[in-house]
Amino acid sequence: MNMIEFRNVSKVYEDKTVALKNINIGIKKGEFVFLVGPSGSGKSTIIKLLIREIPVSGGAIFVAGRNICNLKNSRVPQLRRNIGSVFQDFKLLPNKTVFDNVAFALEVIGKPAYVIKLQVPQVLKLVGLEHKLKSFPHQLSAGEQQRVSIARAFVNRPPILLADEPTGNLDPVNTEGIMKLLSRINLIGTTVAMATHDKNIVNSMRRRVIELEEGEVIRDQKRGVYGS
Amino acid sequence: MIFRPRYFFGETFSGLRRNFLMFFTAITTVAITLFIVGFFLIIVYDVQAILSSVKSQVEVAVYLKDNATDELKSYLEQEIKSWDEVSEVIYVSKEQALEKFKQDNEGSDILKEIQGNPLPASFEIRLQSPEKVEQIALRFLTKDGTYIDGVDEVIYGQNYVQRLFSITAIAGSIAFLIIIMLLLAAIVLIYNTIRLSIHARRKEIEVMKLVGATNWFVRIPFLFEGFFEGFLGSVISVILLFIMSNYLLIRGEQAIIDTLKVKELAILGNTNVIMYIYAGIILIGGLLGLISSGFALKKYISV
Ligand SMILES: Nc1ncnc2c1ncn2[C@@H]1O[C@H](COP(=O)(O)OP(=O)(O)OP(=O)(O)O)[C@@H](O)[C@H]1O
Ligand SMILES: [Mg+2]
Repeated sequence: MNMIEFRNVSKVYEDKTVALKNINIGIKKGEFVFLVGPSGSGKSTIIKLLIREIPVSGGAIFVAGRNICNLKNSRVPQLRRNIGSVFQDFKLLPNKTVFDNVAFALEVIGKPAYVIKLQVPQVLKLVGLEHKLKSFPHQLSAGEQQRVSIARAFVNRPPILLADEPTGNLDPVNTEGIMKLLSRINLIGTTVAMATHDKNIVNSMRRRVIELEEGEVIRDQKRGVYGS
Repeated sequence: MIFRPRYFFGETFSGLRRNFLMFFTAITTVAITLFIVGFFLIIVYDVQAILSSVKSQVEVAVYLKDNATDELKSYLEQEIKSWDEVSEVIYVSKEQALEKFKQDNEGSDILKEIQGNPLPASFEIRLQSPEKVEQIALRFLTKDGTYIDGVDEVIYGQNYVQRLFSITAIAGSIAFLIIIMLLLAAIVLIYNTIRLSIHARRKEIEVMKLVGATNWFVRIPFLFEGFFEGFLGSVISVILLFIMSNYLLIRGEQAIIDTLKVKELAILGNTNVIMYIYAGIILIGGLLGLISSGFALKKYISV
């Protein structure tokens, strides 16, 4: 069974921009997938659709076999608890420490304090930041900030992790670190989908590549490279 | 949803600490706007109270001719007492009138010039409904415009009383309108301030939504905060109003009492009403904070 499945999905924004046309994608549990394509091809739109930030215009999206398009609004938080998401701009809260930024994600979904005390140090160790618990985001490098945001996305151990250009703001060294981290998270069994512009990453990782152009899938290749 | 007071209070108060400037602005806005509303309310109430205590002292004085017989006088007294609008009739004889005149003018040269007793006897009529003063006075006139038998003159402050009543009515409705406008302005200002303070924390809301917090989980700390800001602001405005009315208004009222020679003003004797105004302001403050937060949040937590 597919962990993520798009069936004839189309998306037209309010201003009539056609972002996706008749998309069909299936992603299996535990897969690592790159979404590539030129700017404006619809990569971010796919990610936004998956976390129900925006509604589909046509077709259906299934997550773990469930159609998320007809999910009631009150069930959307449950969906998001099962999908960790990471963005180019980190989205960290500047006035909370590293520990609190990660703990916040558990607090607001009602996890008890002992779970927080247990899981936050664990996940910060996984991302290699166990020594920066008390730092604030502005005291960290961009690469470290992105690790915190990955820790936050993963602390609740979601089966799916989405990353929208997570290395967009990073230098090659930090980029490599982040890719190692995402690979490790994928190895534990997490399904990972990552939108990116970065040729080098895609070419060196040799994972499945889905290429979009003007809202259409023009290539879907196992162990692919950036350009065909 | 599990209720977790420690988280909610923690978030509320750490929110207040982190966003002290917004918090301070919201409270100050609530305090100042509600102070203006309350101040105006108290002034208007005060003026109304002064006017009505002036009104309740409206009297009709019926001066009698010296040749009026005792039978005629007691007939008139019975007749006046039978009118519904009248609350009290006091007969003042010529001797009592002279006595009072002497008391009022003690030590004055005028007393030496008085020979005999030139003062008339009179009925002093207190009214149940002061607005009817003119109708009452007219009953002492015959059809051809002269006074009825035994009556020399009727005095009730003719023009001034009537004008007082119409001014009170107009001033009352203008004051009501102004209070409504002030209150609307206060609501708009408070709503906007709270909206701004929520806008300043939109990133927090975004993250909460992203990691799957339910809408109520997002809302509750903000509702607490809005309520707290409204409540605290209105308490401050009530404290200011209290100081104001105790030190300034009461002095002003004393001055009015001294110059108008009215016995008492309702507001001085009736602190209950002021207490209701204070309680109302605090209630409005808290509710406005709460409701403003609720409305302002809508934009940020639609799904
Ligand atoms: N909120 C929106 N309203 C209207 N049009 C939008 C909106 N968001 C995106 N679009 C349009 O939809 C199309 C796809 O956008 P999308 O953000 O998915 O592209 P992308 O592949 O992520 O591009 P990039 O690589 O630059 O991030 C573009 O034409 C974009 O202009
Ligand atoms: Mg994008």
